[in-house]
Amino acid sequence: MATKSVLNDSKQVERAVSLIRLGARLQVLESETDLSYERLLRLYKEVAGRSPSKGQLPFSTEWFLTWQPNIHASLFQNTYEYLTKVSALDDIDAIMKAYRLYMEQIAACGVEPLLSVTRAWRLVKFIDNNMLSMTKCSKCGGHFVSEAYENSRHFECGLCTPPARAGKGSTAGGILLH
Amino acid sequence: MTNEQLLTEIREANMTYLMLAQNLIRQDKPEALFRLGMSEDSANLIGALSPAQIMKIASANMLLCRFRVDDDMVWNLLTNHSVNKVDNDATTKLHASILMAGRYAETM
Repeated sequence: MATKSVLNDSKQVERAVSLIRLGARLQVLESETDLSYERLLRLYKEVAGRSPSKGQLPFSTEWFLTWQPNIHASLFQNTYEYLTKVSALDDIDAIMKAYRLYMEQIAACGVEPLLSVTRAWRLVKFIDNNMLSMTKCSKCGGHFVSEAYENSRHFECGLCTPPARAGKGSTAGGILLH
Repeated sequence: MTNEQLLTEIREANMTYLMLAQNLIRQDKPEALFRLGMSEDSANLIGALSPAQIMKIASANMLLCRFRVDDDMVWNLLTNHSVNKVDNDATTKLHASILMAGRYAETM
């Protein structure tokens, strides 16, 4: 930043506050705003009323490929891509909007949200960096999060062809098959 | 229902639709584009309509909002009529949401 703009600063703070309200980890804030670590820390305590969680962010791409998380991640990513295709939003603003819409849709289906905003943000980064991709299901035609170089000709999504043990868990708020 | 009543109902549906669309667009455009499934150009137009214009446009013998789901797959999932491995309501609804969120081609 060459010159310090007050207007830009207030925009950054506003963005940070929205992210904290959505439950984002401090690392997301550090990466998506120009605010200093100290200011973010103070802001976090003020908005969330507690200290931010410590430790590293969940790092693996594997999580997005397991059955239930994959369905949640795919819903979010489809919404995110819709928003970025139809309007010129900054990536992080699109992530926040898509995340809110995802929460709405999940609530309408009566399922517990599995994806945190931090995971959603990671997912977008993974796809941007070709560590994961979106592949079209050969049965339903929907786009689902998949390995980076999935063969789309034989790809079937977790909802058209659920894995053998899927949906058997009795956890409340999970995705059930019957 | 008489023809007169039909036309009144269509006008009311149009009016409700246009007013809702306008509210959504004015509140948050990108989000409205997602919810309404329309192009940015149409959204700009609707967002700028005056109440008098809305009244005028609404009085037609045609509905202004079109069916969003024009594909059997999504329709089957929404109505749960397909013979599928999955027959849980919430899960098929989720599946339909994923498919619908992926359809942005029509809005471009």
